[in-house]
Amino acid sequence: MSKIINSGGDEADFTKPLYAPIKRRSFFMYAGATAGATALILSGCSDDEDTVTAPGTVSLGSGDIGVLNYAYALEQLEAAFYAQVIATPYTGITTDERAALTAISKHEAIHRDFFKAAIPTNQAIPGLNPDFSKINFTDRTQVLTAAKTFEDLGVAAYNGAGQLIQNGTYLLLAGKIVSVEARHAAYIRDLLTPGSFAGNDVVNTSGLDQALSVSAVLTAAQPYIKEKINGDNVGK
Amino acid sequence: MNLFKIIAELEKVDPEVMDRLSHRRSALSALGDFSKKMALAAAPIAVGSAFNKAMGQNTLTDANGILNYALLLERLEYSFYDQALKAATLTGTLTGAARTAIETIRAHELAHVNLLTAALGSNAAPAPANGFDFGSAFATYPGFLTVAQALEDTGVRAYKGQAGNIPRTLNPTVGGAVVNLLTVALQIHSVEARHAAHIRYMRRGATAGAQSTIFPWINNADANGAPAVVYGAGNPVATFPAESNLAQGGISNLATGLGTTYTVEDVSAAFDEGLDNTTVTAIARATATF
Repeated sequence: MSKIINSGGDEADFTKPLYAPIKRRSFFMYAGATAGATALILSGCSDDEDTVTAPGTVSLGSGDIGVLNYAYALEQLEAAFYAQVIATPYTGITTDERAALTAISKHEAIHRDFFKAAIPTNQAIPGLNPDFSKINFTDRTQVLTAAKTFEDLGVAAYNGAGQLIQNGTYLLLAGKIVSVEARHAAYIRDLLTPGSFAGNDVVNTSGLDQALSVSAVLTAAQPYIKEKINGDNVGK
Repeated sequence: MNLFKIIAELEKVDPEVMDRLSHRRSALSALGDFSKKMALAAAPIAVGSAFNKAMGQNTLTDANGILNYALLLERLEYSFYDQALKAATLTGTLTGAARTAIETIRAHELAHVNLLTAALGSNAAPAPANGFDFGSAFATYPGFLTVAQALEDTGVRAYKGQAGNIPRTLNPTVGGAVVNLLTVALQIHSVEARHAAHIRYMRRGATAGAQSTIFPWINNADANGAPAVVYGAGNPVATFPAESNLAQGGISNLATGLGTTYTVEDVSAAFDEGLDNTTVTAIARATATF
């Protein structure tokens, strides 16, 4: 905490091997003085136990940092999934599908790498190990069904987490990402079942997309992640 | 760079008011009915650059103002799809799965209108007395989809642009249930994004011109025949950059700044951008007379 504040503001930092802290500092600058300072204080108070708390367990941490780690965890999962889809394309993949899925894989990798760069190194969760052992990557329906699950879950996760975010800059960032996830979801759903881009399994009679709690999202995501994820304090 | 220098830079973003107003007026009059301008591919680009300098800023500060702004946009969208489904010019082309999809989208927009009207109660603004006139937007099927893409992508930007203005602890009672207003706005926002993706997907179809360069997401600030303002910068540009933006969270260029090199298409597509209500309202008024 004190180290973070002390590192801000002078160019001498650039002589040190502090890649992530420099990124972090510029990240907070965008938030404005008060919001940035608030985030620093919030993230600094209770997060000494933020990373691995027990063997095989990863805590996402608390406050806004917890929300960012939550997003980082989901983006890691999506990025790893699509990397596998592109590495071992399903049988019968078309040129169009390959191009679009490659683009999606890049979007997710960019999201993952962005969060990795933006979250303070000493508060970021580590790289997670995905478990896709139940997915047959040669089978189009299985792959696209898993993709649909991940994309709809991502949309519901960001929608549900919005009200947990205190910092307006982070909220806008989440908004910038969630609509891209929704675009992915719509495309994947149309590939599986044409016209199901906003089916009534995800959009209710009030025309609202899903918004899920952290615990509901993690319960759905946990089978695909080897580490046990603890999100009990996200946004708190 | 330090914090105070960045704040000073932000303060410089808004140009002189008189200059801004004169740009804005000429831009608006030049734009006219943008459905008519669809045929003139170059025109929206020229107008777009004027808008980038001219338009601007979020002027909404209270929840009712934001909700009425959303209500206007939803009424406009609902009316657009309703008129399209009833347009004689589209009966031969807007058929089958395409018609079903537009009916689905129309139903969502109507649900949004009803939800927002209920949330506003007696504070709901009246619907435009003479409805919405979309000019020649329904003359052809590809032209209709072009306007639809513009409206949906604008809708996504509009909700995103207001997210930070909605207090996260605002929990009004709507239809007997307590709801979190920010969450509801986000839930509408992602549905608009699903619509946008599908409309864009429809444009790849044979009857819409087989436009295979159009993806469900926004590469660069590519307008795909829609007005460039829809994808351009808002005001202040630091908060509402163009869709081609590569800078996020203080990292100046994600294409080169993440350790792995990514293309500018992929980086720009990975993040949608918000837009201020003044720019959005101008786009709406250029799309329809109301």
